[in-house]
Amino acid sequence: MSLQKRSPILQTTKKIPELIMEYFSKASETKAQNKPIAWITVFTPVELLRALDIYPIAPEHFGAMCSARGFILDFLEEAERNGYSQNLCSYSRCTLGYALSGMNGLMPSPDFLVTFRNSCDVYVKWWQSLHNHLGIPLFLGETPYVLTLEDLNNYVLDYVVKQLEQLITITEEKFGLKFDMERLVNIVKLSDKASELWLETLKLRRAKPCPLGGRDSASDIFPLVVMQGTEEAVKFYEELLREAKDKVAKNEGIIENEKFRLLFDGIWLWYAFDLIKYFEDRGAVFVYEPYSEAWACRLDPSKPLESIARKILTMGLNVSIDLRIERFLKSIKEYEIDGAVLFSNRSCKSWSGPQLVTAEALSRKFNVPYLLFEADMADPRQYAEAQIKNRIDAFLEVLEER
Amino acid sequence: MITPSDMQDLYKNPVAVLRRYKDSEVKVIGYTCSYVPEELIIAAKLQPYRVSNIGASTSALTPSFVCPFASATLENILKLEDFVSGIVVAHTCDPMWRLYDILQKKVDKPLFLLRVPHNTDSELSLDFFRMELIRFKEFLEENFGEKIDGKDLLSSIELCNKTRNLLKNIYMLNSGGKYKINAFERFQLTLASMWMPKTEFNAQIKTLSLNNNENYGNVRLHVNGTAIYDLNLIKVIEESGGFVASDDLCTGSRYFWSNVEKLNDPILALAHRYLRRTPCPSNGPLEQRLEYIEFMVKEFKAQGVVTFAERFCDPILYDSVHIRNMLSKNGIPITVIDYENPTQEIGRIKNRLEAFIESIGG
Repeated sequence: MSLQKRSPILQTTKKIPELIMEYFSKASETKAQNKPIAWITVFTPVELLRALDIYPIAPEHFGAMCSARGFILDFLEEAERNGYSQNLCSYSRCTLGYALSGMNGLMPSPDFLVTFRNSCDVYVKWWQSLHNHLGIPLFLGETPYVLTLEDLNNYVLDYVVKQLEQLITITEEKFGLKFDMERLVNIVKLSDKASELWLETLKLRRAKPCPLGGRDSASDIFPLVVMQGTEEAVKFYEELLREAKDKVAKNEGIIENEKFRLLFDGIWLWYAFDLIKYFEDRGAVFVYEPYSEAWACRLDPSKPLESIARKILTMGLNVSIDLRIERFLKSIKEYEIDGAVLFSNRSCKSWSGPQLVTAEALSRKFNVPYLLFEADMADPRQYAEAQIKNRIDAFLEVLEER
Repeated sequence: MITPSDMQDLYKNPVAVLRRYKDSEVKVIGYTCSYVPEELIIAAKLQPYRVSNIGASTSALTPSFVCPFASATLENILKLEDFVSGIVVAHTCDPMWRLYDILQKKVDKPLFLLRVPHNTDSELSLDFFRMELIRFKEFLEENFGEKIDGKDLLSSIELCNKTRNLLKNIYMLNSGGKYKINAFERFQLTLASMWMPKTEFNAQIKTLSLNNNENYGNVRLHVNGTAIYDLNLIKVIEESGGFVASDDLCTGSRYFWSNVEKLNDPILALAHRYLRRTPCPSNGPLEQRLEYIEFMVKEFKAQGVVTFAERFCDPILYDSVHIRNMLSKNGIPITVIDYENPTQEIGRIKNRLEAFIESIGG
C-alpha cells in the first residue's frame, strides 16, 4: 500500500491549543479572585453552573490533555502509590493522582465537586473518592438510563429537573451566589447555537471527499466540553463551519486521495494521536464518530431546565442500546461508511461492555467490516503499537479487496 | 420439598432447584442483585431466583477487562433462560448495566432493568425509586397476568421480613466476640434463602440444629466485597486459621440487615427499605459504607478485614483505598485479595490469607 503525503488539519483546529490555554488562565484568575471552581464530569449542566457564576473544569479533559502532552504518568503513578489499581479508569487515576500530589498544575483546586451519573457509574466512585480526599462539598446527581423516549417526558425527566433545581439551591446556599434565570436563558441560547453549528459541520463530513478528519474532530470538541454557553465557543464553531464549507465548495478533502471512509467508535487514544494519521496516510479517513456527535445537543431557551435535563439524560451512552444501534446504522448510510474501527477501551467499561453486540448488528445489517482493538484511552503503558498497526494493515487490506 | 440437608447443599448446584420449579410448573423470575425487591415478585405469585456466577465461565460477549463476575452471570442467564419466565437486572455498576444491554439483544424472555439511583440518600431519589418500583410492578402484572393487590404485597413483605429476621438472628450469634456459627454454614443458608421458596425456607430453618463445625481458626475477620457465591472463598479463610465474624456482602449481611417497615403505601415502604439499606459498593454515600463496616468490625470484634475484589470490579477497587484509610485510623489491618477465578487461584489466595492471619497473630 503506497503512503500518502502528510495530511493536514484545518486552520481553525489549530486554534484549539490557544483556546485551552485561555480557558485555564481564566480558571487561575477565577481562583485568584476567590471565586468558586467546580470540578465536573463532562456531561454535567455546565450552562447552569455558568449562570451561577461557578467556573467549571472537567478533569476528564485534563486527563486527555496530560496524556496527549506526555505528562500523565506522574499522576497515574501517584494514584497507584495511594492504592488505586491500574485496572481503574485512567482519567480517574490521573485526577486522583493530581489531587493527591498537591494540585500544582494547570488545573486549579476545586471548591465544589459536581457530577451526574450518565456516561458511567465510575463517575460516582471517582467523585466520591475526590470528596473523601479533599473534604469539599459534593453534589452527586443521577440521570437514569433512558430506556425509551417516553422517559424524556415522564417521571424520569421530572426527577432530573428537580435535581437541577436542588443544585441551584444548594449552590446558592453554599457559596452565597444568586441564580439568574435571564442569564441562564442567554447561556442556553449560546450553548444551543454552538451545538447547532457543530452538528452542521459534522454533516458536511458526508461530502466526498470528507473535509474534516478524525484529528480535527478529536480537538474541535473542546469548546463543547466545558465552554458551552460562551461567545468564544460560538465564534470558534462559526469559523470552523466556514472553513469546512469552503473545503466542500472546493471539493477538497482533508486527505489527498480518499479511498476508505471509516467510522470510529470510542474515545480517542490521546497519547497515540498519530494512529489517526496512520490511517490517513493509507487513504482512510474517519468521517463519523458517535463520540464527536455526543457533545452537541439542541436546547430550547424557552424551557431551559427541561432542555438541560434532556441533554444530560440523552448523552450518547445513557440511551438504550436500540437507540444507539439505530443511530450507528443510520450513520453507515448517511456517511457512506466502508468500515468501522471499534476501540475496546480498558478504561471505559461502560462504552466497551456492549461493543460486541453493536458490532454484530453492524455486520449483520450492512456487512460492514470492522476492526476491534484493545488499548487504553490515556494510559500509554497499555498500548501495543506494533500489534495494533499490524491489525490496521490487515483491516485495510480487507477493505481494499472489497 | 427441600429438606434441611438439601438446603445446605444447594450452593453446590443451585440449578437443581430450577429443575424442580420447571417440573412443578412454578414460574420463576431470575434476578441479579440484592436491590431487586423479591416481595413484588412473590406478590405476583412468581418465584424469585437469584442468578449467580456458579457453574459458568466468563462470556465471550464481554471484553476481557470487564468484571468476571458480571460476565459469568451473563453466561448463566443465557444458559438458564429456559428455566425462567422473566429476567430482572438492577443498574448498579457499569458491567451490570451493560449486561442488560447485551441481554436485550440476546434473550427472548421478558426483561426488566431496575434503575437504582446511586445517590441513595436523596429524597428525590426516593420518589423516583418508588416510581421505578411501580413500573416494576406493572411489568410483572402485564407479563405474567397476576394483579398484585395490597393484601398480597403486605403478606409477601411479612414473609421476607421473617426470612431476614431469621438470617439476622443467626448472623448476630457471633456478635461481641462469640464463636457460635462458622461462616461457611451461615452463607449456605443465606444463599439457600435466595433460591428456595421463602415459606419453605422459613419453616425448614427452624428445624435445623445449627452446629458450629469447629473447622476454623480463631482470628476474627470481617469480609468485605460484592457478591460471593463460591463458598470456597469463605472456606479457605476458615482453613487458613481465620473465623469470619462479620461481612458486608450482597450475599451476606447487606441482603438481610434491614426490614421493610409498615407504611400505608407498601410500595413506598419497599422503596425506602431497598434504597436506604446500607449502600452497595456501587452506590453512595461512601460515608455510610464506611460507617457500616466500622460498626461491623466493632460489634463483631473483628481483628482484621479481608476484601475480596473481583478483578476489574471498579466499585471495590475504589472503595478499598478509603476502607484501608478508615481502618488504619482504628488500627485494624486489611488485605485486598483480587482474583478472577477462585478455583484456579485458590492456592495463591490461601497463601495470602495465611500470611495475613499469621501477621495478626493466628
